[in-house]
Amino acid sequence: MNLASLLSKDRVNLSLKPGKKDDVIRDLVYTIKKGNDAELIVSTLLKREELGSTGIGKGIAIPHCRSLAVEKLEIAVGRTNKPINFNSIDKKPVSLVFLIIAPPQDPGNQYLITLGKIVQIAKEITKKNLIQKAETPEDFITLINGIEKNLTKRK
Amino acid sequence: MPDIIEMHLKLLFDLDNLISDMEEPSYKKIGFQIEEEASLVLIQKRNDLLKKLPAEVAQAYEILKKRYRQAIAPVESEFCLGCFQKLPTQLSARSQQIVTCPNCGRILYWRKKEG
Ligand SMILES: [Zn+2]
Repeated sequence: MNLASLLSKDRVNLSLKPGKKDDVIRDLVYTIKKGNDAELIVSTLLKREELGSTGIGKGIAIPHCRSLAVEKLEIAVGRTNKPINFNSIDKKPVSLVFLIIAPPQDPGNQYLITLGKIVQIAKEITKKNLIQKAETPEDFITLINGIEKNLTKRK
Repeated sequence: MPDIIEMHLKLLFDLDNLISDMEEPSYKKIGFQIEEEASLVLIQKRNDLLKKLPAEVAQAYEILKKRYRQAIAPVESEFCLGCFQKLPTQLSARSQQIVTCPNCGRILYWRKKEG
């Protein structure tokens, strides 16, 4: 499963409103779901965050969970122009957030495979200093596509 | 079922899936940093949620969870998505009672249409 194909440009928000960690997570969730479903997802994501921040360092966070509020794997991306505090492992603030929500039943374990892939891509983005590179959501998806292809080639 | 019970059941269900994912070796391998007492914290939280449910619902949930892992199931086009059997038409999304699948026994909820 190709990651870029799971991302649509209306799920890429490159001018996400900076704010508190919880608010940023909520804003991103609302690009996927609304109302009670969204609040259920936010609640589960925040429980996950309490166990250890999904801020993986160098300015990127990858909040994730399973929730019955979604019927298929859903991904959204947000970037803020002002970094936000995410209690990341390196204590550095975050400006790029990948959000992943998976349904409870997930044939083929697509959730964990995709999550692992996003972690790899995120590391490439920080290594090459690409967080602020894309100017439009289309650019961003092209960038992800390129990184993903390179990673597959290397294997 | 009453909205408040439905909400607590769904929170509990998501939380139980979170607990099992955190234990999953292929999850651990991805390498997110997890606090040492994480699973204890989660189990405390799920027990707190369980207490918010009426005793008979909590008990049913626990029994079903042991049997199937996933104790609750959505209804779609009159099918239970737990066991994929067609449900009798008299079962209603608007019931104020807890509705269970006559075939597998899972607690049913109806997906709300977006909008
Ligand atoms: Zn059933």
